[in-house]
Amino acid sequence: MGVIHRLSEGTINRIAAGEVVERPASAVKELIENALDAGARHIDIIISGGGRDLIRITDDGCGMSPEDLALAIERHATSKLRVDETGREDLLDIATLGFRGEALPSIGAVARLSILSRVVGSDAAHRVTVEGGHVSPVEPAAGPMGTRIEVRDLFFATPARLKFLKGERAETLAVTDIVKRLAMAHPEVAFSLTSEARNILRLEAEMPGEVGRLGRLGAIMGRDFAENALAIEAMREGIALTGFAGLPTYNRGTAQMQFLFVNGRPVRDKLVIGAVRGAYADYLARDRHPAVALFVDLDPREVDVNVHPAKSEVRFRDAGLVRGLIVGALRHALHEAGHRASTTVADAALGALRPVAQPAFSSGGFTRSYAPMQTPGVAETAPKWQGAFADLGGQAARVVTEAATDAPPPAENLPLGVARGQLHETYIVAQTADGIVIVDQHAAHERLVYERMKKAMAERGVTRQILLIPEVVELDEAEAERLAARAGELAELGFVLEGFGSGAVVVREVPAIFGKLDVGGLVRDLADDLSEMDEALSLKEKLEDVCGTIACHGSVRSGRRLTAEEMNALLREMEATPHSGQCNHGRPTYVELKLTDIERLFGRR
Amino acid sequence: MKITIERGALLKSLNHVQSVVERRNTIPILSNVLIKAEDGQLSLTATDLDIEVVESIDADVAQKGATTAPAHTLYDIVRKLPDGAQVELSTGADEGRLQLTAGRSRFALQALPQEDFPAMAAGQLPHHFDLPAEAMRRLIDKTRFAISTEETRYYLNGIYLHAVESGKAGVLRAVATDGHRLAQVDHDLPAGASGMPGVIVPRKTVLELQKLLEGNAGTISVGVSETKIRFEFAGVVLTSKLIDGTFPDYGRVIPADNDKIMQVDGKRFAEAVDRVSTISTEKSRAVKLNLDEGRLTLSVTNPDSGSATEELSVSYSSTPLEIGFNARYLLDITGQLDGAEATFALADSGSPTLVRDSDDEKAIYVLMPMRV
Repeated sequence: MGVIHRLSEGTINRIAAGEVVERPASAVKELIENALDAGARHIDIIISGGGRDLIRITDDGCGMSPEDLALAIERHATSKLRVDETGREDLLDIATLGFRGEALPSIGAVARLSILSRVVGSDAAHRVTVEGGHVSPVEPAAGPMGTRIEVRDLFFATPARLKFLKGERAETLAVTDIVKRLAMAHPEVAFSLTSEARNILRLEAEMPGEVGRLGRLGAIMGRDFAENALAIEAMREGIALTGFAGLPTYNRGTAQMQFLFVNGRPVRDKLVIGAVRGAYADYLARDRHPAVALFVDLDPREVDVNVHPAKSEVRFRDAGLVRGLIVGALRHALHEAGHRASTTVADAALGALRPVAQPAFSSGGFTRSYAPMQTPGVAETAPKWQGAFADLGGQAARVVTEAATDAPPPAENLPLGVARGQLHETYIVAQTADGIVIVDQHAAHERLVYERMKKAMAERGVTRQILLIPEVVELDEAEAERLAARAGELAELGFVLEGFGSGAVVVREVPAIFGKLDVGGLVRDLADDLSEMDEALSLKEKLEDVCGTIACHGSVRSGRRLTAEEMNALLREMEATPHSGQCNHGRPTYVELKLTDIERLFGRR
Repeated sequence: MKITIERGALLKSLNHVQSVVERRNTIPILSNVLIKAEDGQLSLTATDLDIEVVESIDADVAQKGATTAPAHTLYDIVRKLPDGAQVELSTGADEGRLQLTAGRSRFALQALPQEDFPAMAAGQLPHHFDLPAEAMRRLIDKTRFAISTEETRYYLNGIYLHAVESGKAGVLRAVATDGHRLAQVDHDLPAGASGMPGVIVPRKTVLELQKLLEGNAGTISVGVSETKIRFEFAGVVLTSKLIDGTFPDYGRVIPADNDKIMQVDGKRFAEAVDRVSTISTEKSRAVKLNLDEGRLTLSVTNPDSGSATEELSVSYSSTPLEIGFNARYLLDITGQLDGAEATFALADSGSPTLVRDSDDEKAIYVLMPMRV
């Protein structure tokens, strides 16, 4: 007797289920996608026990007829692949979220599944139930328009999987995350998520278009994001990129606030991480991450979504093009943003002022109300209120009398206003048409010097030192080939190398600005960058790092007294220089406080 | 132990040995200097486990003995004592301390037992030769600037000392390079050096040796093995480990047929380079050389601060050439030239350039241009 035998249908389904339904969140994702494909306007999700005990998803989509219901729970049955004239399904032309026809049977194989559906216009609903793969016949039932799917005791048929689930909290979080991602992609659909009778998420349907999308993103990523986001819009060769990117000063410690949607499908792709890092490299320190939500829409035939059963990965036919589009659009938007710094900066400053300002009213002490008027950073280092008070007449608050008395230029047309004074020989205070601006003179000037150096480098190219003894660096073959293939691009950055047999490159010229350099280390970093992110980030970062250090040494330090002319010149140059709103590490160079904010501080409003 | 010694003699020797001692140590005894008194001699030993310096001086030994004391502290104390003072060093009944008395000053320094002091085993040094101090100084002074400080190519962090056949006679050759420029200095092969292995003398050893050789006119006896080198002269013995690595085949990068010859007054050239490079503020400090019939134009352009040019009359009769160099590298090399004339042998703007002293055929410098 042979040792090989066919697996039973039930086992096949359970194995398939393992790929598609990995955890409760993936079941939720499949079911919501079905609802979206059915054209639902309102999707209600109820979970219990982190989705293990119960997932109930109710939509108002097109519904299914009894015949469809019976077919829906069979494997590889779907309404979503069109059959073309030759009688074959076209897997290249996928316009819906689902298409594999795996979700429902897979869930049915490992859980107690019940589907209740009523087709629009029909007068009766029907129900079908599947328990661990055992299908009960379709029966009439009472129900509203649309479909309600109930999944109970997920993974009861596969105890091994059940054992490997995380805690209830973690699973609930995962479900919330997936609902959020799908909701971001579909602002026109209302979502509600309830767990253990607690409403976690309630999202009203938004208007179509950019406004609605920003509204939905704000509702999910936080209102701060909506206020500090730049609209992205770009189009190239049939690929449309829209979305929003956060200002560099609105940054995060992790890359979790970076979302990519391809044709309405949330995906996690290394491509976006690399592209975003490349675009922001100039504005953020390495360990800070911007918040972005990007939507790529392209001909379904240009992208392969059939890479992974859970469809969280996609493959672009021309990944370089998509990448270039993202980097280009982000850079353009950031460039346009010029010197804008995020409002969270001003909010943080006001937040720091407020709590101390409150008791000043009750005690009525002048000295105490003066102290908090300093910027938070100074307040820490300055002696307490006595010191601050003594400084009032001293050198710290040096009012620019010239600027105040000599008819100052009109502040209305100057975004950063007219300098009124210098505090602690570190901060410039300027008056604008409707508020005040506090500038960190060192950070601001450093950025200006840095931008100037970068411009010079872009115009003249990078000066290269030719090596007397070229350095051979051993790599693995693929890495060496990748590096050699990009030699032209690297040469523009001052790094000349060529292939050296198989599995090695020889470096002939290096940027002179580096001085003594660990060539081998840099080449290996570059090889890693190219394989992971398809861009020579290490080299750019190192160039920027050196420029940054030079800029730091070549700029006005804290503690330098500035005349009114110098301060105003600095402000004007900041207005004229792109990206002057943050220093090289993503910290703001200035904080703007609106008059209304200040009035609120004093209880005038 | 009890000895008396004149302050000046002690200070000079302490100065020699203490510079080997690192400022911070994880092994406490490495901060100490070993003091040994026997038969009218005081010997001081310091080490960082890679280099060991022993210096012996005459002293009035009342009682033999040995101990160790913090090198830098001891040096600072002796330095601050008045000129001509008689210093008395002793370990009394209390073995844990070193007593230092000079005039009315008295110090008691924490001592560590001399048995714990690490001794460097030099092993067999099969190759021996003698070299005038003057020659040794020249070999290292003129090559030192090119030693690499970049740690990954550790085999470039020193001077490569080896014997080679050059023409009829052999030479003792010192070579240093950092991958951007190279310096090579020869000296007539001393007796006994012909079979020596090529050794890489570490940078720190070179610096120490340079300090010790200062104002020394005698003869140095050098002992070499595969792993160690020892220099002995005037009561000083410096033993050092060698860099364990292979020095690159430097001969290949020394251009043999650069035919565009420029001769220029070395001092005036250096001054001009220094002047025009004032304009460049960047780290790269690129200076451009435009060569034409009998004329050299140096120029620097910096969009931020302006530009500078200076013309020099030189002897040059080949086709015009434009080539860029790092100004600092040029100055480093011209700083080594003693003669009046510097000779540049060039090929093109992307190939190595050979520089030599018109009076000194035995020292050559190779410099790689920059692309500007």
